[in-house]
Amino acid sequence: MTIATADHPVSRRPIDGWRWAGRIFLTLLLIFTVMPMIWMLITSLKTGFAAMQYPPQWWPTEPTLGNYTRLLDPTNSVGQEFLRYFWNSLWVSTLTTILAIVVAVPAAYAFSRFRFPGRTVLFFAVLLRNMFPAVIFLVPLFILMRWLGLVNTHGSLVLTYLTFGLPLAIWLLKGFYDNIPIQLEQAARIDGATRLQAFLFIVMPLSTPGIIATAIYSFIGAWNEYIYAYTFLTRHDQMTLPVGIQRFFSENATDWPGLMAATFMMSVPVVVLFLVLQKYFVRALTEGAVKH
Amino acid sequence: MSNKEGRIARHRSPTRRQFTALALAVATTASLMSTTAYAQSVDLSQWSPEYIRSIAGTETYDTAATCGAVVPNDYEGRVSYWYTGAFEADPLIAHEQDAAFWEAFKEAYPNIQTDVQSITYNELLDKFRTSLLGNAAPMVVRLQILGGVEFAAKGYLDPLAPEDVGYTSADFWPGALKSVTWDGTGYGIPTNNETMAFIWNAKIFADAGLDPESPPATWDDVVTYSKQIKDQLGISGYGLVAKQNAGNTPFRFMPQLWAYGGGALDEAEENPTYDSVHINNEGSKQALQAAYDMYVRDKSVPTSALTNTQAENQGPFIAGQLAMMIAHPAEYAKMLDLASQATGADKEVADAVVENMRYGLIPEGPARRAVVFGGSNIHVVNPQYVEGEYDEQAAKALICMWTSPEWSTKLAWVGSNPGHLGGFKTEWMKERLDTIKFLDVTTSMLPNGIPFPVLPEAPEIMNIIVPDMLQNALTESMTVDEAAEDAARKIEELRSGM
Repeated sequence: MTIATADHPVSRRPIDGWRWAGRIFLTLLLIFTVMPMIWMLITSLKTGFAAMQYPPQWWPTEPTLGNYTRLLDPTNSVGQEFLRYFWNSLWVSTLTTILAIVVAVPAAYAFSRFRFPGRTVLFFAVLLRNMFPAVIFLVPLFILMRWLGLVNTHGSLVLTYLTFGLPLAIWLLKGFYDNIPIQLEQAARIDGATRLQAFLFIVMPLSTPGIIATAIYSFIGAWNEYIYAYTFLTRHDQMTLPVGIQRFFSENATDWPGLMAATFMMSVPVVVLFLVLQKYFVRALTEGAVKH
Repeated sequence: MSNKEGRIARHRSPTRRQFTALALAVATTASLMSTTAYAQSVDLSQWSPEYIRSIAGTETYDTAATCGAVVPNDYEGRVSYWYTGAFEADPLIAHEQDAAFWEAFKEAYPNIQTDVQSITYNELLDKFRTSLLGNAAPMVVRLQILGGVEFAAKGYLDPLAPEDVGYTSADFWPGALKSVTWDGTGYGIPTNNETMAFIWNAKIFADAGLDPESPPATWDDVVTYSKQIKDQLGISGYGLVAKQNAGNTPFRFMPQLWAYGGGALDEAEENPTYDSVHINNEGSKQALQAAYDMYVRDKSVPTSALTNTQAENQGPFIAGQLAMMIAHPAEYAKMLDLASQATGADKEVADAVVENMRYGLIPEGPARRAVVFGGSNIHVVNPQYVEGEYDEQAAKALICMWTSPEWSTKLAWVGSNPGHLGGFKTEWMKERLDTIKFLDVTTSMLPNGIPFPVLPEAPEIMNIIVPDMLQNALTESMTVDEAAEDAARKIEELRSGM
């Protein structure tokens, strides 16, 4: 009896138990993460009646895109309101992001490059706001916004989001600037560039991943924020999506398929943004975290 | 509203026969706990589904003209208003009636600008509280029945009586008016009065060996039926809800508590004073024990009852996984709406569900048959807390239209009963009764209605302390006795201002 393996010995690697355990764990984690989103998508394709069936329809017997067409049709009231909320969220989040970047970039650069009295205290002080739960500031900020005449305006949200978005943005960007060798700027200065030119033409391009990561962070934070928008806004024409989708709940009933369709639509911009720019996001987080 | 200018006399004078009936009515409506004797515009002593049918469609109203006598139709002004209107989950007819009202108001008062915000049921009270802190409140607000007194007691609302907008107090249920009376002064007008009823799935009853056409007559029967259904079919019998800080919980548990002879305070008594705590009396403990038996001993109610609101009961009921529950008329309408929108294979299932739905009176207990006398009231906000310039006449015009027989009927189309008793006589009431059968039962539950205590602390008692008591007993963190005593202590502390 000839054993093939005797002629052509195959080196069998022993099963790596830890590797497989890791794979199984990651698979379970993936299922745990993805399943709610898949279920959200499936429910959004059901009619109101089908969504309440038990046992649940794993795939709707009568799938419909009606919930999406209702949301995206500007000729009906539901569509008009959803699209308005969507536009409001986009406007508030974009404006918050732009302002956060405009303020955080020079602030982080200053913390990274300059030495001035109270620098360390000030640097930690920007985090003070983030050390308290948001709800503590709710009523004081509401009264302040009322005093400023900003209640029921998007300005109240942008200002508020900046108060808790900026500190982390500054910290994130400072770590990034710390990793850009100061010699590059010095070389530019020797070649005749002003400090501003060195910042704009040397440092800024190198810090693009960090700026993009900060922008994504600010955008997502503003896009998902609920409690301040819920408190500051009562006018439907001003509401943002997280508050607006509450309209799918009423006293005794919930429009689950409509709610799921709206939630899915709400997640699309964030997912797209993250997928397109994720390499910058990961790079910025890792590079900013390690000292070279 | 203190300004009495513009009040109008009622345009219909009662006959001698009506006077006799009205007097009788006043004497026999003790269950509504009237504190003021008014000659009602319908005969409350005859209250029954048959009587309601007999008066429906017997009178016509010209709302624009009636309100035009209070505030001239060419009045120029502005009014801001917050209320809970129709939302995405509500039946189509609710959206249509809501839109129709604003069209009618625009037609009746073309020169009054409206700034209207429809805010969801669970958000309105919180948003209103916040807006008052920042002097950013609307001129007019419609709140659930539990909410008004809290704000009146704190000075946030202005006095408002039916007479201020051209009606009389006799045009409204005495119990409903009492719910907006604080320290002897009225602070609102009822827009709609709602009572719930009992709904069950006849097929589940039959499958479990119960009579499919007979609901449980008593709350003890509910416990027995629920267990039998669980034992026979493995599904939930009764749709208990016990979520904290949710209005649904007291609306469904208090009827049981009152039926056994309990109460939070003495609100179920004929002449409540709210001075004595009843949450730890024998009746209250029996009701709590019944809930405990269903949840802990028999496990015959949804396990998720501790975090459920009524909205979470709808799915299992429609799916045939829940046999019976206390239901709002709007829920019945919603189920019909869902069934009508189902297509293909779903349609057959949906039709079968509707076919098996039955509705009847809420079970009675050893002491009484009871239901929460719910609904909403419309209020005017103290001008110092209002955003922008206050316009009393525009506010009155809106309130007159909203509380009219016509619109208090149409705006409560699927949900409840008109606040203005004249609404029961309108052609629209007749149409509602013909199309929403469940209304027969809920309107006939009205005389069994018990209002929540008319106290500023009522929201805290009903939405926090009562659900806490349920949670403590059902999670077995306390015995039934301990939970009831704990709730009594909390109510006493709250009432004493501790």
